[in-house]
Amino acid sequence: MATRATTSRRVKGETRHDGFLTHAGFRWLKIATALCLVVIASYLMIDITPRHNGGSWYGYTLGTIGVLLILWLTALGMRKRAMTTGRWSLKAWTSAHVYLGLSLIVIGTMHTGFQLGWNVHTLAWALMMLVIVSGMFGVAMYAGIPAALSDNRDEMTQGQMLDALRAIDRQLHDAAQPLPHEQAEAVQWSLDQDPFSGGLWRRLTGNYPNCATARAQAALRQWTGARPDTGDDPLERVDALLERKQAMLARLRKHLRLRALLEIWLYVHVPATFALLAALTAHIVSVFFYW
Amino acid sequence: MTFLIRQISYTATGREIVRDAVLPKPQISIGRAAGSDIHLQDLAVTPDHARIEQVDARRVIVRATGTLGFDVDGRTVTRVDIDAVKGAELRFGAHRITVSHGEDDQIILAVQRVDALSDASEEKDEARVFSLIGLLPGRRAMAWAFALSILIGFLAIPIISYATRPAPDTRNIYAVKDERQAQMQKASLTQGDTVTGDAAWSPGPLSKAHHALEGKCESCHVKAFVAVQDTACQTCHNPKDVHEHAPAARIAMARETPGLGGRFLASVASAFGKPPAGSCVDCHSEHEGAAPMQQTAQQFCTDCHGTMDQRLKDTKLGNAGDFSTSHPQFEPAVMVAPAGIGMKYPRFDRISLDKKPTDNSGLKFPHDMHLSKSGGVARMARTLKAQEGYGDALACADCHRPTADGVRFLPVDMETDCQSCHSLGFESVGGTVRTLRHGQPEQVIADLRAYYRSTGPARPIALGGMARRLPGDYAATKVNAAYVQAASARPGNAEAAIRAVFSKGGACYDCHVITPPGAGGNASWHVTPVNQPMRYMMNGWFDHAAHKTETCESCHAAPKSKQASDLLLPGIANCRQCHGGEKAKVDVPSGCALCHSYHIGDGAPWVPANSIQDKTVAKVIALSGATASKASTGGLSSNTKRNR
Repeated sequence: MATRATTSRRVKGETRHDGFLTHAGFRWLKIATALCLVVIASYLMIDITPRHNGGSWYGYTLGTIGVLLILWLTALGMRKRAMTTGRWSLKAWTSAHVYLGLSLIVIGTMHTGFQLGWNVHTLAWALMMLVIVSGMFGVAMYAGIPAALSDNRDEMTQGQMLDALRAIDRQLHDAAQPLPHEQAEAVQWSLDQDPFSGGLWRRLTGNYPNCATARAQAALRQWTGARPDTGDDPLERVDALLERKQAMLARLRKHLRLRALLEIWLYVHVPATFALLAALTAHIVSVFFYW
Repeated sequence: MTFLIRQISYTATGREIVRDAVLPKPQISIGRAAGSDIHLQDLAVTPDHARIEQVDARRVIVRATGTLGFDVDGRTVTRVDIDAVKGAELRFGAHRITVSHGEDDQIILAVQRVDALSDASEEKDEARVFSLIGLLPGRRAMAWAFALSILIGFLAIPIISYATRPAPDTRNIYAVKDERQAQMQKASLTQGDTVTGDAAWSPGPLSKAHHALEGKCESCHVKAFVAVQDTACQTCHNPKDVHEHAPAARIAMARETPGLGGRFLASVASAFGKPPAGSCVDCHSEHEGAAPMQQTAQQFCTDCHGTMDQRLKDTKLGNAGDFSTSHPQFEPAVMVAPAGIGMKYPRFDRISLDKKPTDNSGLKFPHDMHLSKSGGVARMARTLKAQEGYGDALACADCHRPTADGVRFLPVDMETDCQSCHSLGFESVGGTVRTLRHGQPEQVIADLRAYYRSTGPARPIALGGMARRLPGDYAATKVNAAYVQAASARPGNAEAAIRAVFSKGGACYDCHVITPPGAGGNASWHVTPVNQPMRYMMNGWFDHAAHKTETCESCHAAPKSKQASDLLLPGIANCRQCHGGEKAKVDVPSGCALCHSYHIGDGAPWVPANSIQDKTVAKVIALSGATASKASTGGLSSNTKRNR
């Protein structure tokens, strides 16, 4: 029976990708759910007087479980640098990381007994929640973004996107040579534009209201707008090239936006984790210091 | 007069290509236009941008033809005079033109594109530009910054501040060490916080009573890594003032041995240096919010009292585990022998209500007669309705007045509570009624004697005025003789009146227990002192004010009581109609601390405001919305009427 199950799983694995969320038939989701239910049930059944708090024996128990879990979850940062397969594969580890990490919401909050305040103890709890929420955001992004990223790239690599921009720039440069200075200057705006400019907000929203290429095109259309397209006007060629450059920029910017969304959570998750470890240390030491 | 134009360019592999062209002209043009002598394919350059003119063998003048200038050695100009021997570097858009002097006085102009044709064409680090690197501080840097600032702010600063706080002055060799420590602690309470940054360590606000200690953590957490000890509490709470519940040894003996889990928890707690069971903090938990301190849990009492007879064989206390299920019947302190003959003080015994004890108050007072809706008392009440504010019959509140705090009732007072009906008046002088002095039998006797001495019998009308009696009017003589005799014997009548007052049918005897002269060795009439206890339950607390919503009769069976000696206290069954154990499903779940206090004192057991009491009152009012109005007619609320 067991062997059959293993074989069938292996066959399945060959045909279909089994992500870390669904790993081993949601094994870790089940374990984490069971853990949460046990904690909630015991929280409701065990009578702590005067009320639940981190300082009761039950509170200390949950706190100990919580801190061990946090340390183990942090260890993913080291574990992920050594990829292995099998029972303790990195995938299994990541699956456990996600679901046990989510169960910390219950364990950590029950540990507080809902007694929150402006102190280092609640700081640790808040940082834990921030880490978990950023992780949830990360998982959500991992679920949707790679497909969108792939759709947008249209089988182009990042280097190819950049090369395409460069090719357009070269053609723009050549096409603009015969133009008088005012028009050439407008084309130069577009050439001088850094396609990777803009801060974090532009990256995340993909909204570039003051794009130099768009400005250049708008400026050039002041000349071309009133004239019929004779077919040999260099301005018309430049206009067409600027159109192409805008399309290319739009694709690049969408790519950058998706990548930013895919990366941003780690900029919260990782520093907040270390802040959490520090706050946790302060929390535990202070509790025993003023014992 | 020749220019040597040297075009320098690079192949994709980086190899340099140099093409020289000689222009034997005194002046050459620079621009984007295809016909320029130096043709710069550069959109930043105008079609006809500048002219270079050779002045002599080594000097050239560069002049911009339009308004757009060019750069010479980093400065933007529109005209420049250059010594070619010294050389110069011109910059037109993305191109650099280096001016130098060659053989045969040739002016060499080396032209080279130095900037990429567009920004995108420049070298880009792909891994960097496509990611968020550079847009955000690095993850590692942020991790270090956050972690270090938290460790410094929330750990290092408080600990350093704690370690370096002003050391206590211990130079006084006369001070006893313990005393000194207590002084130090007290000083730290008044001096203020000496440890910086530890406020963030407080897991929650202190209770109201300890609010002044907020932030002064070290006043209770005296030593680092040592749990709060009783001595810290005793700095302010003198153990002499906080009454010990029982001798410590007896408490230790009475405490139930915890189960396996409890023993394990206790061993963990002791391994971490927690003070043992029975310490102050065991019961008084702090940092639970700025409200009053939390009420003590029932478990804290039942640890010992639940099954105490098993461990303390000699205890007189019954087991009490839960008010609903395991609590002894009340044992009021009842006077069993009054003070009086041979006894200076009355004797009280605690007797269980199950044994139906009687209480000898020394009064003859049938409650049923006074509360009856019909009969003489009720008629009297109706007569005095307007004057005294009575109802159609007497109610409890007409005679019983609560204390100011409403907890108990004042002893019934003759002058205020009885005299409106039970008058002690014996003579009217000009409309003022003279009364016997209540509570002073000697004065009563003296007043009666004085009365009989100072007044004569009524003079018979037949005696007429002061006219001389006619001889032979024997009838008048007889009347006169009788009158004179009566008048002379009048003071002697006082004794009979006194006897009458103190005997059956007399004003005193009706209500009081009287001992006649001679009996028991007393020389005069003796009225047994009345005993009206305000409190029967000496170890429990009952607050009448908290029970305002109930009628008096719902607990005290006064309307049916025929004897003054009936003890009208309700038993535990009556209380259990509403009250039950802490966890019981009853109207008023009541822990031990509702009626009992651990540190036994004279006052009410400590109850946090806004907790059980107020909640209970609100609940009971809600439950008995209808009966509350009924209760107010015959119950306590009507006492306002009586407070004239």
